[in-house]
Parts: sequence; structure tokens; C-alpha cells
Amino acid sequence: MGKLRQVGAASAPAAAPTGRLGRAVRRGWVILPAGLALAVPLFLSAYGVHVGIVALYYAVLGISWNLVAGYTGQFSLAHHAFAGLGAYASAGAVLALGFPVWAGILAGTLAAALSGYLLGSLTLRMRGIYLAITTWAFAESFRILLSVNYQVTRGDMGLTVPLLLGTLDPLPNYYVFVGLTAGTLLLAAAVLGSKVGLRIRAIRDDEEAAAVRGIDVVRWKKFIFTLSAAVAGLAGAVYGHYIGLLAPSQVRFTEMAFIIIAVVLGGFRSFWGPVVGAVVAEGLAEALRLSGEVRMVLFGLFVILLMRAYPAGLVGLLSALGRRLGLRPRP
Amino acid sequence: MGQLPQVVAAGLMMGALYALMAVGITFIYSLMKMINWAMGEFYMLGSYAQFVLITLVLGPSLWFLGVPLSMVGVFLLGLAIQKGLLAPMFGPEADRRDEYATIVTIALSVLMQNLATILAGPYQWSPPEYLPLVTAGGISVNGSRLAAAAGALVLLGAFYFLVRRTWLGLAFLGAAQNRVGAEVAGIDVRRLDGLAFGIGVALAAAAGALLAPVFLVYPTNGAVSTVKGFEIIVIGGLGSLTGSVVAAFLLGLVESFGSVFISPAYQDLYGFVFLIAMLFLRPQGIFGERERRV
Repeated sequence: MGKLRQVGAASAPAAAPTGRLGRAVRRGWVILPAGLALAVPLFLSAYGVHVGIVALYYAVLGISWNLVAGYTGQFSLAHHAFAGLGAYASAGAVLALGFPVWAGILAGTLAAALSGYLLGSLTLRMRGIYLAITTWAFAESFRILLSVNYQVTRGDMGLTVPLLLGTLDPLPNYYVFVGLTAGTLLLAAAVLGSKVGLRIRAIRDDEEAAAVRGIDVVRWKKFIFTLSAAVAGLAGAVYGHYIGLLAPSQVRFTEMAFIIIAVVLGGFRSFWGPVVGAVVAEGLAEALRLSGEVRMVLFGLFVILLMRAYPAGLVGLLSALGRRLGLRPRP
Repeated sequence: MGQLPQVVAAGLMMGALYALMAVGITFIYSLMKMINWAMGEFYMLGSYAQFVLITLVLGPSLWFLGVPLSMVGVFLLGLAIQKGLLAPMFGPEADRRDEYATIVTIALSVLMQNLATILAGPYQWSPPEYLPLVTAGGISVNGSRLAAAAGALVLLGAFYFLVRRTWLGLAFLGAAQNRVGAEVAGIDVRRLDGLAFGIGVALAAAAGALLAPVFLVYPTNGAVSTVKGFEIIVIGGLGSLTGSVVAAFLLGLVESFGSVFISPAYQDLYGFVFLIAMLFLRPQGIFGERERRV
């Protein structure tokens, strides 16, 4: 890990769980957020727990987006659309084909993975900008398709789908999302700690050099993009069956922008960044009772300032603080 | 087949407006090697500026004066944004420009779109029509669309003149081909970046202003035209101005024929199908050159 750290990552230390910290300290660090995540909702109102679910939903999307954008250097702008695709595909499987909900979620995940694979196959041979443009066009076209086919999707009226746990009570659903977030974090840690993790970071830092060293650049970009699309599809499908109502507005570009905002706020290219960013952004917005528009204006402004002045984000700030206090070794 | 001329005319008219968007995106891309994801918001600003100008200040009959005024306003805003936010990415300490430009322009787009909703409300404003229905040679077309297309052609002509016939245009082309080479020849590339960004977003604003009576004025009205602009620049070949113009007219025709012969409901989806087909058959685009790598 330490040896791989490159020029680009100098300002944003990659706080993967395979850092140089002692094993005990590392476990200690994980117990704190896990304990908080499990205990805090018991003291919140139902609405507060719902906000927690939304935050974790964005955290999962953020982690999967960060794998592609942060660690591989490929900008996907369709993660909200993959989530929407997962949700609608699952709804279709359950409502039209009579699948049980869990099988529908699986079908939604596979549908998102497949579309990620196809988009990746078309664009990942070329410069990163092709992926960004094509995924953006895919997302907008998917949204338009949902609105236009209102006989099937019920358009902006919303499509009612069966609930995952048969209840709208947020608390049990919240624990489903805690599990989903933990699973996604473990998956990300496994990928980043493996050889694949080294390969994708090498691709991000210098694609030509990576290719020269014998890395099948296109193959690993496709792999990570497909995996990330699958995770987004899974999150979208589960969220859809929690909310019980799907609408094309879930595929508005604002959703994608919020994922990016959360990741940049927490710390682009850092392991915990997306989780911290999503929880802080969603929590802050709810605590201050900001309207949707005011919230997005402030976040947009904040992200611009952050990119200009301190790209390491909150996690970068925390680990700098930790180093200052002597809790972590200096890089 | 009696409607053929009408379908072709409708396609070419939309094509002219798509060309404005696509040329703006390509122009910024060719100088700064970045995609401006906030293009739709500059379109939106252009449409609001035009709406305010022709309803409150100039009156509907002077719509053709409102367009250049809206463009100048957005041009100045573009200059300021480029100087304040985007120029630093070419600084000595900057690495990973793509990433910076993508995140900053997406944040900018969110900022501007929601600010517009706060200031002007989520309502759809409908400016007065520029011209009544025009009938000529058996074809009748919506007057505002015709006026918009005519305006777009005039602006494209002016842009062509600027790029091909002036010293500044030559400097732009030189810097687009080889940044360092242009700098060595004594061209202030950073000033060109600012101008290119300003001109690019002003073209988007012109499309917004011209199309204001057709697609109305509201905070997210730039989205559809922007998606088509992005599709066009890939179809035409990334970085090729000629490619952008040709692909814009092609897309206009594809949409127009598609909505007559297949279904008008899917009009905004033909571009994506066109894009995917193009990526499959000829990924470098119509006028693009196959990418060469070391």
C-alpha cells in the first residue's frame, strides 16, 4: 500500500484498511462507526431513522462510484441510473413475472451489471471522456424512457412495488441498509486490498505505464465498472422495495450530483470518504431543515470551494487531525 | 411522401440549433480539453435573460436584439467563471485536470440550476412567439422555430468567420492543435482559454435564447439540448468543429424522420440510439481520427 502511493494521492491519503496501523487500532476504528450505526437509530424518531436509511443508500452508491471514479480514474455519470434500473427491473420481475422480492432484487442487480458491462465494452477502450459522455446520455435517455412509457412505468404518477420486509416501519429496514453498507465496504476492501486493487490504481495513475507492465487495462476497467454498476443496481433495488414507490424523478441528474457531492465532501479516493460524506451531507441538510434547492446550492458552493482549497475532504481532515494527535503514523 | 420536404425542413431547423450547442461544447473541449457539464445551465441562463429582455425591456418584436444581449451577458459570466474556477487547473500545482474540471462543472451546474429555482421558481415561463406560422411552397412551419433556426445559422456563420478568417481564430486553432507550440509562438494561451470558454457558453446561451418560445423557460430546460450536444460531439468526432456541425444536422434529420416514421414519443431517444450505433461501428466519430497511443 505504502509503496504504491503516487503523486496524485499525495494530498488524499488512501485510508484503506490495509494501512500501516496496528491490527488492534484498526479493529478499534471499525468498532466505533459500527457501534454508532447500530445504536444511534434506537434513539431517533421514525423520520430520523428514515433519514439514516437515505444516508446509507447514498453511502453505498458513493462507495461504488468511488471505486470507479476515485480508484480507477473513470468518471461514470450513470450510477443513479443504474440504481433506478435496478429498482425498475426488480419491480418488473416482481410485478410482471411474479418473482419473490429477493429474486427481483437479484434480477435488478444483474440488469444493472449487464448494462454497465455493455456501456463499458463500448467506451472503456477509449479515453475516459467517452465513458462520462455515454453514461450521462444513457442516464438521461433512461429517465426519458421511463417518463415516455407511462403505460408501463406509470411515469410520474409512481409505480407501487411490494415491500421488502412487508412493513414501512423504517427501523428493521434500517438494519437491512446497515448490512448492505457493511457488505459494500467489505467488498470494496477486498477489491482494493487484492491485486485487482493495485491494478486499478496503476491504471488511474498512468494508463500507458500500466499497459506496458502487462496489465490488461480494458479488462480491469470493465470489471470494476461492471461490479460498481451491480452494487448501484442492488442498492437501488433494495431502496425501491423499502420506499415502495418508484418514479422517474429518482433518475434526475441531481441524484448523481448528490452522490458526487457526498463523495467529494467526505474525501474523494478515500475508503471511508463516501460513508462520512453521505452521513454528514444528509444529516446536516435534515438537521438544518433546508429545502431541497437551498441544500443543493450550498453543497454545490461547498464542493467548489473544497475542490479549490482542500480536495482531501473530511476524511483527509480527520486523518490529519489524527496524525497531529499522534494516533496515526505520518505518511 | 408529400410530407417529405416538411420533415426535412423540420430536421434541418433543429439541426441548426443543436449545432450551436455542439459547437460550443467542442470549442471549449478543443482548447481546454475538458467537458463543461454545466452547458445546460448556460443555455438556461440564456433563455431566462431573453425572456426578461423581451417581456420587460425590449418588447417581443425586438427578439433579435435580445439574443445578442443575452449572449454578451453569459459571455461575461463565462469569462469570470473560467478565470475564478477553471483557470487554476492549469496552474503548476494542479494534477488530474479531468477530475477537477468534471467535479467543479457538475457542482456549478447543480448550483446554478437550484439557484434559478430559488430565484425564479419552478414555473414554466412562456415568452411570446417570435413570428407567426409561416407557409411557403406548400410547407408550413412554426414561425418561432424558423426564426430560431435562422438566428442559429447567422451565429454559426459568424463563428465560422471568427475561427477561419481572423487572427484570433487562427490562434484558437493553433492552440487547439498544440498548446505548447502556440505558447512558444508567443500566444497567450490562458487568455484564449478564457475567451473560448466565454464564447462556448455564449453559444449555449444563444440556443437557449432562440429556443425560449419553443421549449419554454424553466430551471431544467437545458437538459435535453445538452444531452443532444454531448451525443453530437461524440458522433461527429471529439474535437472536430466540422464534425459537430455535420452530426448536429444529421441528428436533427434522424429525429425528424424517426418521429414521423416510428413514433414522436421517442424523439429524445433517437440520439442515444444513434450514439450507441456510432460507438459500435465507428467509435472515433464521423470526422474524428482514430486515437493513437504510445
